[in-house]
Amino acid sequence: MTEKKGRQSDRPPEDLKKERDAFIQQFFRKGAQLTEELLRENERLRDKITELDAENGKLRAHLASDSAIRDLLRKIEELEQEKRDLVTQSVRMVAASDRFNSRYSEAEGELANLANLYVALSQLHSARSVRQVLRNLKELLAQFLGAGAFAVYLVDGEGSELMAIASEGVPVAEIDRLPVTKGVIGEAFSKGEIFFDETRDVSKGSIEDPVAVIPLDFDGRTVGVIAIFGTLPQKTEFVNVDTELFKLLGAQAAPALINARLFTDAGRKVPGVQAFLDLEE
Amino acid sequence: MAEYSCLIVEDSPMMRQLLVFALARVKNLRVTEADDGVDGLRKLAQTKYDVIITDINMPIMDGLKLVKRVRSDPVHKDTPIIIITTEGSQEDRQRALQLGANAYITKPIQAPQVIAKVKELLRID
Repeated sequence: MTEKKGRQSDRPPEDLKKERDAFIQQFFRKGAQLTEELLRENERLRDKITELDAENGKLRAHLASDSAIRDLLRKIEELEQEKRDLVTQSVRMVAASDRFNSRYSEAEGELANLANLYVALSQLHSARSVRQVLRNLKELLAQFLGAGAFAVYLVDGEGSELMAIASEGVPVAEIDRLPVTKGVIGEAFSKGEIFFDETRDVSKGSIEDPVAVIPLDFDGRTVGVIAIFGTLPQKTEFVNVDTELFKLLGAQAAPALINARLFTDAGRKVPGVQAFLDLEE
Repeated sequence: MAEYSCLIVEDSPMMRQLLVFALARVKNLRVTEADDGVDGLRKLAQTKYDVIITDINMPIMDGLKLVKRVRSDPVHKDTPIIIITTEGSQEDRQRALQLGANAYITKPIQAPQVIAKVKELLRID
């Protein structure tokens, strides 16, 4: 009876068995649920990883793009600097070119002036008669200086009066003899100095008020003057080359006139070689 | 060797010399001188020139007559002509331009002005 009792006590009561089975079932059900949840979570995390990978890819691409932009900006800056250098260089070159052109222009002007002076000199000395020298002198004054009215005076034998021997723009007959000390003409003659006023309008002068007076030198003596009474309307001032021409005329006009006179007086004969050999003795 | 030729028609030896000096600085330009219009026509009949420079006031045949004759010459009817005038002779200048002159230079002559005008008409840089 005890054994039976014991055997009976080893066996779980029916209600406990049911409870146990229910628990086990619930346990497995919960386990299955948890597993399913874990699988879902795992799936979600995989998706998340994929998303993050994609995002990461995009960020990497973005970073690469930023780097390219930085490179481009750097390149632009370099090009801008190169452009600034080129502009500076170009400005320097333009300035150098301007200087060169200006110098070239000056040299051209100087060359033209020298040519004018050479032509003036050769024309003065190529004439072999007083008439021709005076004609050339008039043309020189008109063409080179733009002189509209002028006269060539020579001093008389006594050295007291200046007499006009040729003129342009004013008839010689209307030009009075002048004492060698009278007015600016007399003053320029007496002092042997070129007279002209740089500040005045040289187209507006007169016989009484000449705009320039050039003393004519021969062998260290002043033998006459060229008086310019006025220039052409478009010529209102004397420039550098004009003053050079004044000097040239002052030094060369009288010798040309006197040589032509002496040559005419000598019957236009060229002296024989003996005349030149005699000079050596 | 000269590529271009220029005829200067001017009675004043001084002016001719000035023009010759000025034009000597134009590269490849051969310059011929004539004393007046008749001499100019004679030279034009012998040679074809690329440009003609002529004074207006000249003895025997003046510049206006020369321009007229040149324009009726089949060889030189299109040759550029530069006339030399004084500031006061506007009528002559107008008449010369009407007759077919292409340009004018006013006395007193400035070499750079002559060079520029000749280069312009010959289209030389």
